[in-house]
Amino acid sequence: MTDTRIVHTVGVGAMEWLWAHRDGFRLEPDADPEVGFLERFKPVGELALVCKVLFREGVAGSRQADLARRLLDHVWRETLDGGTMLVRGQRTEPASPIPFEVYLPFRELGYSQPEVERAVVLNHRLDSWRAFEATPTRRLGLSAFQRRFGLTPRPAEDEALRATWLAHTPEPWTVEGHIAYDITHCVFHLTDWGENPAGLPADIADYLATWLPAWIDDWLDLERWDLLGELLVVDACLPRPTLDEPAWRAFAAAQQPDGAMPAIRVMPEGDEEAVFDIVYHSTLVAAFASVLATSRALTELARAS
Amino acid sequence: MEQSGTSTLLQGAVQDIASGVVSALRGGDHARAVPPAGTDGEAGELALAAVRVLGSDALLPDLLLRTPTDPAQVALFRKAVEAYPPRADAAPTVRWSHWGMARTLRRVDPSYTAGPPDEPGTGWLDDATWQFLTHQLAVLAPLALPGEDCALGRLAGRRPVDVARGFVRAVRRRDWRQAAGAGRWLTLLSGVPDTVGLEAGLDFVELMGGQDPLVALHVQAARRMRAGALV
Repeated sequence: MTDTRIVHTVGVGAMEWLWAHRDGFRLEPDADPEVGFLERFKPVGELALVCKVLFREGVAGSRQADLARRLLDHVWRETLDGGTMLVRGQRTEPASPIPFEVYLPFRELGYSQPEVERAVVLNHRLDSWRAFEATPTRRLGLSAFQRRFGLTPRPAEDEALRATWLAHTPEPWTVEGHIAYDITHCVFHLTDWGENPAGLPADIADYLATWLPAWIDDWLDLERWDLLGELLVVDACLPRPTLDEPAWRAFAAAQQPDGAMPAIRVMPEGDEEAVFDIVYHSTLVAAFASVLATSRALTELARAS
Repeated sequence: MEQSGTSTLLQGAVQDIASGVVSALRGGDHARAVPPAGTDGEAGELALAAVRVLGSDALLPDLLLRTPTDPAQVALFRKAVEAYPPRADAAPTVRWSHWGMARTLRRVDPSYTAGPPDEPGTGWLDDATWQFLTHQLAVLAPLALPGEDCALGRLAGRRPVDVARGFVRAVRRRDWRQAAGAGRWLTLLSGVPDTVGLEAGLDFVELMGGQDPLVALHVQAARRMRAGALV
């Protein structure tokens, strides 16, 4: 069992860095149509999902919770212009699910944009949305988000799950980077991003409990901090998390003094925006893994006492 | 330079014997598994050392296929057992490997009447991580034989999931020798998770690393043992 202070401190540092670099969450309204205006929405949606976990778990310190709230307010007001940019994105690409995916966690946190809601309800009626071509894991995520929005998922989540890599519990030695990200995201969607660990079917939880240590060992050795962080989130979602000590110690040691978490090995060089684009995700993941693992560690302590 | 040259020669000799063993396990030419005894001089010493490095696996076809053992091979094997007793400060893997050779020798050579040496201990693996455990077991893969009880085998039998994790780790790291050795142990253990996909996993290890005779040897041994070969 890892020292909870190490786990907790990673999250504190990560939130400080994200707050200090909040201007990195930016859209490109004049983006080349070939690239698409919606491409830069992903970091904003991920930030909202992680901040929601942080509030929900209630283990963050008051400084962390305060930073999370201010970050959310910042990106809602400044980056998304009170939701107007989501509307604009929806009007640019009416059938795209991206504005919906970004909007959902904000909605759950009390932010509102009625026009996006109308578009979501309309799109949900379309065969085009059901037939939208996506990887099985993203398809599962879309169904889960539809449920969270209050809609009947199309397709149903258990049907969507069946097409994923993880649902087949395949040979664990075939896992490489892309498959590993499919695994982590499948777990995120099944557990509502850690909110509901019981959402993991028993066979999948058993499979993960058996093989996750081998994958954690591997990506720790390769110093792939972004993926390692996601695997540590998966660990925290299991019925009996290991809170792997060597992995958490190395993860904490890789974190920079200012809280940034390099994505792979060491920090990249470049101007501020370029560096942000490379490490924002690994730093968000660090905050995410920290809050879930801290919560699980405290639960275990409470159980033991 | 001389040392590395000798080392290269020895590795070559080990690979040659391993190739012979693989060939014999596949039903090919059995007689060349071990070079003939009586090979004199440097070549003879090299063959002797190579047999010691390969351990019990030098006679694996005789153990697994129940074929009559060539007396010349047995003589060389016995010479290797007697020429390289483990030193007092030898590593546990060296002790176990030598112990395994002596056990094999008693089986194939009725005239070898030396009392069995005490079975080495397994204390060095008591608190071993699954990574270290698998590495050490893979080094001692020649001891993975069906129907042969020993403390090391019992220890492995208590940790099937850990050895399976080590197999996955070795494949991911492309350490084909370790993967093949771990896979060979897994064929003997009960309680190995089905999801490891061992049969295809061994085929994969052979596909990727089978040009190394030591990898091919363990994969072939595992196949034979899965097929029900008995010692």
